[in-house]
Amino acid sequence: MASATSYDLEKPSLWKKKKNNYSTNLAGYVFISPWLVGFLLLTLWPIGQSLYLSFTDYPLLADPVWVGADNYKHIFTDDPLFIKSLGVTFTFVLFAVPLKLIFSLLVAMVLVKAMRGMNLYRTAIYFPSLIGGSVAVAALWRNIFGLEGYVNEVLSWFGIVGKGWISNPDFALSTLVLLNTWQFGSTMVIFLAGLKQIPAELYESSSVDGASKVRQFFTITIPMLSPVMFFNLILTVIGSFQMFTAAYIITNKGGPINSTYMYAVFLYEKAFKHYQMGYASALAWILLAIVGIVTALNFFASKYWVYYENDGGDEK
Amino acid sequence: MKIQGLVSKGLMLLLIAALVFITACGNNNNAAKNNAAPAPVVDDKKDAAPAEPAAPSTEPKKLSIMWWGPDARHEATLKALDVYTGQNPNVTFTPEYLAWDAFWAKLPTLAASKTMTDVLQMDAAFINEYVSRGTLEDLSDVDLTGIVDPKIIENLKIDGKLYGIPLSNNGQGFAFNKTALEATGVTLPKLGWTWDDYFAFAREANEKLPEGQFGISFTDSWDGYQYFQTSNGKGPLMSDGGKTFNLDKDLFMKFYNEHEALRKEGALPPADMQAAFLENDAQADPMASGKVMLVGKSVGSVSALEDLLPGQVDVVNVPVGSAGGGWAQSTIFLAVSTDSKNKDEAKKFVKWFITDTEAGKALGMTRGIPINEDIFKALEPNLAPKDILGKRLAEAAKPYALPFYAAPAGYTEFIDFFKNEMDAVMFGQQSVEKAYENINKKGMDSAAAIK
Amino acid sequence: MKTLRSAFPRHLFLAVFSILMIYPVIWWIGASLKKNSEMASSSLWPATPMWENYTKGWNFSSEFSFTRFFANTLTMELFNVVGGVLTAALVAYGFARLSFKLRGMWFGILLATLMLPGQVTIVPQYILYNNFGLTNSYVPLVLPHYFGGGAFFIFLLVQFIRGIPKDLDEAAKIDGASVYGIFFKIIFPLIKPALVTTAIFTFIWAWDDFFAQVLYLSSMSKFTVGLALRSFIDQFEVQWGQLLAMSLLSVLPSTIIFFLAQKHFVEGITTTGLKG
Repeated sequence: MASATSYDLEKPSLWKKKKNNYSTNLAGYVFISPWLVGFLLLTLWPIGQSLYLSFTDYPLLADPVWVGADNYKHIFTDDPLFIKSLGVTFTFVLFAVPLKLIFSLLVAMVLVKAMRGMNLYRTAIYFPSLIGGSVAVAALWRNIFGLEGYVNEVLSWFGIVGKGWISNPDFALSTLVLLNTWQFGSTMVIFLAGLKQIPAELYESSSVDGASKVRQFFTITIPMLSPVMFFNLILTVIGSFQMFTAAYIITNKGGPINSTYMYAVFLYEKAFKHYQMGYASALAWILLAIVGIVTALNFFASKYWVYYENDGGDEK
Repeated sequence: MKIQGLVSKGLMLLLIAALVFITACGNNNNAAKNNAAPAPVVDDKKDAAPAEPAAPSTEPKKLSIMWWGPDARHEATLKALDVYTGQNPNVTFTPEYLAWDAFWAKLPTLAASKTMTDVLQMDAAFINEYVSRGTLEDLSDVDLTGIVDPKIIENLKIDGKLYGIPLSNNGQGFAFNKTALEATGVTLPKLGWTWDDYFAFAREANEKLPEGQFGISFTDSWDGYQYFQTSNGKGPLMSDGGKTFNLDKDLFMKFYNEHEALRKEGALPPADMQAAFLENDAQADPMASGKVMLVGKSVGSVSALEDLLPGQVDVVNVPVGSAGGGWAQSTIFLAVSTDSKNKDEAKKFVKWFITDTEAGKALGMTRGIPINEDIFKALEPNLAPKDILGKRLAEAAKPYALPFYAAPAGYTEFIDFFKNEMDAVMFGQQSVEKAYENINKKGMDSAAAIK
Repeated sequence: MKTLRSAFPRHLFLAVFSILMIYPVIWWIGASLKKNSEMASSSLWPATPMWENYTKGWNFSSEFSFTRFFANTLTMELFNVVGGVLTAALVAYGFARLSFKLRGMWFGILLATLMLPGQVTIVPQYILYNNFGLTNSYVPLVLPHYFGGGAFFIFLLVQFIRGIPKDLDEAAKIDGASVYGIFFKIIFPLIKPALVTTAIFTFIWAWDDFFAQVLYLSSMSKFTVGLALRSFIDQFEVQWGQLLAMSLLSVLPSTIIFFLAQKHFVEGITTTGLKG
């Protein structure tokens, strides 16, 4: 009960009246029931199992044995790879998230305009995000960033001797950040959908008032888009913390010399290569805690910059 | 606005819910597991007792079987399964065939849920891990006399028991680009060559080959170094099921100081280039890309080179020391799962798989050189060039071969560690001496962790 | 005249940018026509294009061709997209607009499910489906899409619904519409861009979800395109030409779907007359 009243996704006004309590409760649960049933039936047990397993020694091929907090103790006191992968992951998140968000917002602003040929432009620009992370795609990347790849060929026109961008421990992580930015399509599409939702008459009326384009961007676009920006921020952070595919297939399992050894690669190898599923589960719950804290901070900060149509009106 | 409480509250409640869940089912987690594993222990004993079935039963049976490989192997194996069903009409199969990566991605989950197939293909790199967890059935009672050389069987036993029926003869050697070496006048490696010849080859190649091409590449894998240690009579790194670890310091320092000297002379690929090598990749393979003239290859892997560099590849043994060099053995097996409910039929099938001539004809060379010599002799007249190359590598390896030393269970992390430490040497981040200390400590720790 | 001139720099920029983004495809097409022994050469185009990489790749197995694998995958995707779009919208509306007991808690849990790395729930999940006897079937791959389609899409749609002026709901409420009526008549049509986004992503991500497919689909007759592609890669031997050829074909459906779907972003929404 306490959580229901203290929680404020928004301020419901019409259906909050006491006499309607039962029917809105019912309606609420009817609407969320697909997820709720799925969660209770299919998700809760595996999640609970993973938490239980994090307190076991579970060699995957044989049964788990309860070891108490040993896994956690070992992770925090005696695991250089934990520290290493956490460092790599935080560095990645710190650079990859802002780069990707800013870049995809800028591109979305360009692509939102209706003009001839826009269909083709959008598809072309979205294409890198479509191709995913298959083996073929990894070969493609090596071809671009390899020692004799296209990047170095272009550099050589200017007399610059290139590096092995994905095979040199000093550059591999930066290359992954770039590559991750290059696959900005999903966040861009969400921005695009968000921009399309902003009522055009807001811009029209402010143009009549003589507002400049830049001013419109800050007074209309940013506030109206802020719920979608918030979504992209939260999900890009979560996604970046769990970044796996590129580090696994493109820099060959976190190499060279573990310079791209992302947390998710570490976790995956612990579970499915070294058969330490208990340890991997503990790592997963530690990541959940870290990402949870970062997300909670984001939610906390959001009230200062995220604007919701209905809240705004209510709060004044 | 108390939105900030939302996520933390949700997380907290999820934690509590999960904890409640644990206390509810954590204690009787055995019950939960038994659900997942409808293979009661009692069955095990009942099945194990009559080792060889007295008479062929006619009761219908379904064997599930799983293997990895390329499509040619899939089709040949499916044909062989049909042959078996033809001979034993009561037995049918549920086959599942995957590529190597997919197979090893899937198998742990099957093992964890106790749903491994009755019969499965196994590899020497993984068998120790699966045996040590009790997932594979003891096949010592499958009689292979007259089919497989008893010495081979002896070599394959783990703690005195046989867990995999060997399918083919494998062996380790080196492959070199004969065409490119001859064109530049570099002396070709000869059968029986030694480690001194090996390093001399690297120097000569560096002199004569054009810029950007190299005789050899840097050895950063644990088994690559192990060839040096075993051939000089100091035995494998890990022995006694992993309980003993022995990294010979003198040999290690000698091997890698020599490499560092070569690096200074420019006779090894630069670190940037070496780190980008990806074996068997069409573009990044060290040899197929034309950058390295000589690489270590097994019978199984050398035939793929024939495809990338048709007609240009020749083979030689692993350089020898006082004790010999390299290995020659089977590394691919058929195993029977302890989860199986048809163990007798499964055992009968795995024996048939390497015995029956009709099966041998159907399977051909799709799993390498058949372990059963009679079957191989029937195939020999019609070998493809890539099979001939494999055959020649096996012959080159055999006279000098030492036993095959796979990594025991519990050393998967050590393997990665070794490579990372040596790559750090390669990139100039640490000395050979320091790498030795780190690797030795990691190995000792791994050995101590095995009870 | 004026619009044409002002549009030109924009076209130029977009064209250059598009070519930059799509450049790898040129390499891809060229490489898909090469022999294995030509792969290492730096030229973009092979001496003699191996068109049979496509025909042989398509029919690489004597049992089934890619026709079967594409049909399997597209059928699965049809169910995924329908389920994902419908149920995610329902759930999102519940969270965004309705007030009910424990809503905050459920929403927090929903988000938390996104934060736990999936690798550690794979095995328990497999055991669960195995207990239900649902392995070697599409059920484990399709079913989750009918339970809200995952936290990502629910949260996405929640954010979009919250961006819709509440006046619309209230006006309809005054006209006598029920919560259900408001959802179907007002909200559902208004979040079309977000629903299209959900459909596109559901399609693309399920297409790429290799690990789940390899776990839950055993017989080749049920293989998806992604699984079949793996058949070209073995331990030592990769059929590069055929792999690249079929991989290229395998991104076509997603590209076409995106091309067709993205025009819905152009339309946007009209709320003229409803505001102020």
